[in-house]
Amino acid sequence: MTGDREFHPLVKRLLDGELALRDLPPELRAQGDEALRLLGAVDRAAVTLPATLDGQVMERVRRHAASPARRVWRWLDRPREVELRVRLRPWGLAGAALAAAAALALLLGRPTEAPGARGAGAVAAAGAGGAGGAAQRDSALVRFVLYAPGARRVAVAGTFNRWTAVPLVPGGASGVWTATLALPVGQHQYAFVVDGERWVADPAAPAVDDGFGRQNSVLAVTARGGRTL
Amino acid sequence: MTGPLARAALVAVAAASALQAQQGDTGLDARVPAAAAAAVREVAAQAAARGLPAEPLVQKAIEGGAKGVAPDRIVAAVRALAERLARARDAVREAGLERPAPDVVEGGAEALGAGLTPRQVRDLVRASRPPYAPALTLRVAATLAALGVPPRQALALLEGAIAAGRAPGDLLDLPSEVQAGVARGATPAQAAEGLARAAAARPPQGRPPREPPPGQANPRKP
Repeated sequence: MTGDREFHPLVKRLLDGELALRDLPPELRAQGDEALRLLGAVDRAAVTLPATLDGQVMERVRRHAASPARRVWRWLDRPREVELRVRLRPWGLAGAALAAAAALALLLGRPTEAPGARGAGAVAAAGAGGAGGAAQRDSALVRFVLYAPGARRVAVAGTFNRWTAVPLVPGGASGVWTATLALPVGQHQYAFVVDGERWVADPAAPAVDDGFGRQNSVLAVTARGGRTL
Repeated sequence: MTGPLARAALVAVAAASALQAQQGDTGLDARVPAAAAAAVREVAAQAAARGLPAEPLVQKAIEGGAKGVAPDRIVAAVRALAERLARARDAVREAGLERPAPDVVEGGAEALGAGLTPRQVRDLVRASRPPYAPALTLRVAATLAALGVPPRQALALLEGAIAAGRAPGDLLDLPSEVQAGVARGATPAQAAEGLARAAAARPPQGRPPREPPPGQANPRKP
C-alpha cells in the first residue's frame, strides 16, 4: 500500500511471501521489483548496546532508591494493621441487601442476545462486534503499512480504539511507515492521519463513506490474522 | 453497618446506576466540540429511549471530533446514523428478531448506509441462521456493496455461501475474493456472480441442519 499510488494485489501477495517474483505476470515484475526494494530498505540491523550500560543503569537505580524522598515514601507506603468494627442493625441489613440486589440487577441486566447469535454462532457474533465494543473472545496482530514519503508523522486510528491516533514508525528513509497492533476479531473501520491533520484512507483497502464526506477503510480480523477486505 | 455507611452504599449503587446509564457517552465531552456534545447526547438519549444502541452514535461523534469535523456536521452525521439504526432495527424485527442485539442493529445500519434496502436487510437476517451471525453477514454485505457489488448480488452471494455451508469466519473472505476477481479484470458484479456460481456448484460442506434436531424447539419463528 502506498500513499501516492497503489500496488497491484498480486504485488501485495508477493510482499506477503505468498508469491515469488517469477510468479508475477511480466507487466507486474517491475512493480514487484520496486516493492521488494522498498521492503528491503527497512532497517533491520541488530542494535548493539554498550557493555557498560548495565552498570550505569544499576548505579542510577541505587542512587534513586537511596534518596530521602524515596525513604519517606516507603515509610508512608508501609503496611499497617487496622482494626475495623462493624455493628449490624436490622435496617442496615435491609439497606445492604437492597444495595446488593441493585448491584446484581445492574450486572445481569444486559440486553437479550439475538437468536441468530446463539450457540455455535456466538464466536462469529463476537467477531462481528469489534466496532461496537461487543464482547471480544479473541484478537490478532495486524500490521498497518503506509507509504508516505515526506511525511513527518503518520498515525492510525479506527473503531477498534475509539479513533485515538496510534503512531506508525518510519522505516528509515524509505517513506514506509508501519505499526503492528493487536486488534479484536471482527470488522473495523480505520484511517491514517498524516502529519496530525490529513486523514487518508488506506489505498489498499476498500473504503466506505464515513458520513462526514470522507472515507474510512475496512479491515477484517479473524483468528487467523488480519487483512484488508 | 452504621447509618452513614449504609447511606454511602446506597449512594454508591445509585451512582453506579447513573454511570451505567451514561456509559455510552464516555469521552464525549473530552473529544467532541462542546457545540456538538450536547446535541449528540440528546440524540443518543432519544435513540436509547427508542431501544436503539447509543454507543455507535457516540462513536460516530468521537470520530468526527478526532477528524476535526465542524460541530454541525457531526450532529448531522449522528442524526443520520440514528435514523439508519431505527430503520435497521425495524428491518431486523421484520426478520423475526424481536429484541435484536446492538451489533445486529449496527450491522444493519451499515448495510443500509452501503445501499442495501430494508427488505434486503430483512432477507439477509432471515438467511443468517445459526451458526451464521446476522451482525457478521450484514457487515460483509455492506463491505461488498462498498466494493461496488450491486446490493442484490451481494445478498445472493452471501445467501449462496451460507447455503453451501462455508464456515462463518470464511464469509469475511468474500470481499477479498471479489477484489481478486476485480484485479483480474472483472467488474465487481461479474466477480460476485462468478463466486456465487462457484459456491452453487460446490457440494455443501459441513452444512448446518436447516431443521432443529428431534425433540428441540425451533430456534426461530419467522
